[in-house]
Amino acid sequence: MTGKTARLIFWVGTLTSAAIFLWQTYDFHMQTPKFTHTDKLTEQVVAGKKVWHKYNCNDCHTILGFGGYYAPDMTKAFYRLGENNIASIVQHPDVMYKNSFRKMPQLNVSETETRQLVSFLRWVGDIENRHWPPQDEKFVQAYKLRESQPQKLDKVHLVLQACGGCHTFENQGRNVGGDLTTIANRITYDRQTLINYMINPQSVRPGVAMPPQDVSPQTAAIIADFILSLKSTKEVSK
Amino acid sequence: MLIEYQSQRVSLWYFRLALVLFILQVILGLWLSINYAFTLPQDLVNVFPFSTARALHTNLLVAWMLLGFMGGTYYILPPECARDLFSEKLAYLQLIIFVGTAVTAVVGFLFGWTQGKPLLEIPLPLDWLIVVAALIFIANVAMTIIKAEVRTALQWMLLGGVTFLALMYLFGMPFYQNLNTDYYYWWWVIHLWVEGAWEVVTASIVAYIIMRVTGVDRKVVEKWLYVETGLFLFTGIVGTGHHYYWIGAPDYWLWWGGIFSALEPLPIVLMVVDTWMHVRERRNPIVNPLTWYYIIGLAIYHLVGAGLWGFMHTLPPINYYTHGSQVTVSHGHLAFFGAYALLNLTIFYFAMPRLKGINKYNDRLGKWGFWITTIGMFILGLVFGIAGILQTYLERFLDIGYSTAHLTMMFWFRVAFGVGLVFLAGVVITVYHLFTIKPSSIPAPEPVVTPASNI
Repeated sequence: MTGKTARLIFWVGTLTSAAIFLWQTYDFHMQTPKFTHTDKLTEQVVAGKKVWHKYNCNDCHTILGFGGYYAPDMTKAFYRLGENNIASIVQHPDVMYKNSFRKMPQLNVSETETRQLVSFLRWVGDIENRHWPPQDEKFVQAYKLRESQPQKLDKVHLVLQACGGCHTFENQGRNVGGDLTTIANRITYDRQTLINYMINPQSVRPGVAMPPQDVSPQTAAIIADFILSLKSTKEVSK
Repeated sequence: MLIEYQSQRVSLWYFRLALVLFILQVILGLWLSINYAFTLPQDLVNVFPFSTARALHTNLLVAWMLLGFMGGTYYILPPECARDLFSEKLAYLQLIIFVGTAVTAVVGFLFGWTQGKPLLEIPLPLDWLIVVAALIFIANVAMTIIKAEVRTALQWMLLGGVTFLALMYLFGMPFYQNLNTDYYYWWWVIHLWVEGAWEVVTASIVAYIIMRVTGVDRKVVEKWLYVETGLFLFTGIVGTGHHYYWIGAPDYWLWWGGIFSALEPLPIVLMVVDTWMHVRERRNPIVNPLTWYYIIGLAIYHLVGAGLWGFMHTLPPINYYTHGSQVTVSHGHLAFFGAYALLNLTIFYFAMPRLKGINKYNDRLGKWGFWITTIGMFILGLVFGIAGILQTYLERFLDIGYSTAHLTMMFWFRVAFGVGLVFLAGVVITVYHLFTIKPSSIPAPEPVVTPASNI
């Protein structure tokens, strides 16, 4: 091979590849609105992305599979965890991961920032990325199914969506704060106290570890009815 | 005199600082493995979270790599241009800005001042200082080449490589509103660095060192250099697509990214072949065997860590399961160590004895360092690989949940911590040896081809 041929290989190789790549980049920008639903990329979502950067979340968590590999992937976190659980974890990691083998730092994320972060994660979850990561696809499917059949929506779904991050019910959910059936049989609160307790636990039982829940009074009422219905009557057990 | 031009001396400070940062990087790596292997108390995690330690670990890596490249460029440029550097003062000024920025960034990370993008955490104001340092560097290199009376292919290949490197950095600086666009351009920095610009710089520096120590004809070395860099860029540029499989991008990326990145080991194979051929056809006797260990070690490790390990999970059907897992960690460690840490150490072992006026150095300690670090890192790569395969299989194949997968991995991270300690010992030995390098008592054989006749 002569020096001239070698130089030709260099230039042809480099320029061909660069030309293909630049065309692909142009096409990527043309198609991104379709793949990432940029019409839903609101100011709130952008603010959430800034929160994501501010607390350096990405150096522990992966998102789209990139970043630290120390904590779970966040691409479909909105579907995996649900809004209320994300908020509880972000604001009270010390409580949520009290029994966990791995801890998350208490970052003192404000309530506004938490809402922005949730909006960001909701938008990220909708990016059409060929159903990656594989392990979270079942959560996405389940969420979509619930959303498409609201008339069939079970109370159990609703309760687990809101409380399943810390409480179990019939072996579903994560056991940090105890099983709902056990709790139902232990507590003596009436309906209204239980609602107050969920929204602000400290007002009912000062010093309790449970963080305040981000639920509307209406949802809290549904959950309260559900929990109170779990009480087994003394007569039956005799 | 072993160095031909006084201005080559500026490189010494680059090398020394790079070596100190290397040790710090490894210590932080050990801390990261402790984070994985044990449950840490919440209070400690609140003050010094994994994210901060990881930002330090990766940024120290980038910093010492770049210091090594810049120092190496300053070392080989004067003899290659047959003149002193355009300005020694600028070279020192650039070093001060670069190191000052790096120290500020490290302190900033500890207090949560970050841009929050993995590997590119340095906040925007500091980014601009890095840009200033890079501009001074490129200007200094360009002026030295322009004012030179000799013209070689190596000169402009080096200049092209470092300019390409600096240019790509700019794409990581802005705030992108869209996460997928953010990561599209994030890879312009990370991928086009390690599988583009850095490869060009590596190929050029290796070509220079091989030419100097073997006495092989410049025309032959430069021919190989053209073909290798041509193939690196041909496969590497479109090969960026292997990062775009799961970010929300058109389907053709699976094909373009898959095929081009599957070809990426090709130029590395060529590099191994040409290193081997040049050793066989050498015209000069081997003066320092250890420098040769590093040159050949670099070629082989580069092929294994970057080529083989990269190829293993670059095809979309495999990558679907392994993407963003410890498999990537395994590949990352073997590739960075094999291709770039060994390249920098090759430069240091080539240049640092000469800067001290030593022709043949005593390499007893250095050989220990070489074998401990190379074998240590290989085992570490295997341990991460096992953890990665476990994680992938348990979490994504059997679908039994993140916690179960990570609990199983804890054992392997305890092993990784142990291996990491051994690796650290190897690094400390190597750095100590380089700092205190002494002449050998055995007389050095005379070179047949003098550098001056091979310009």
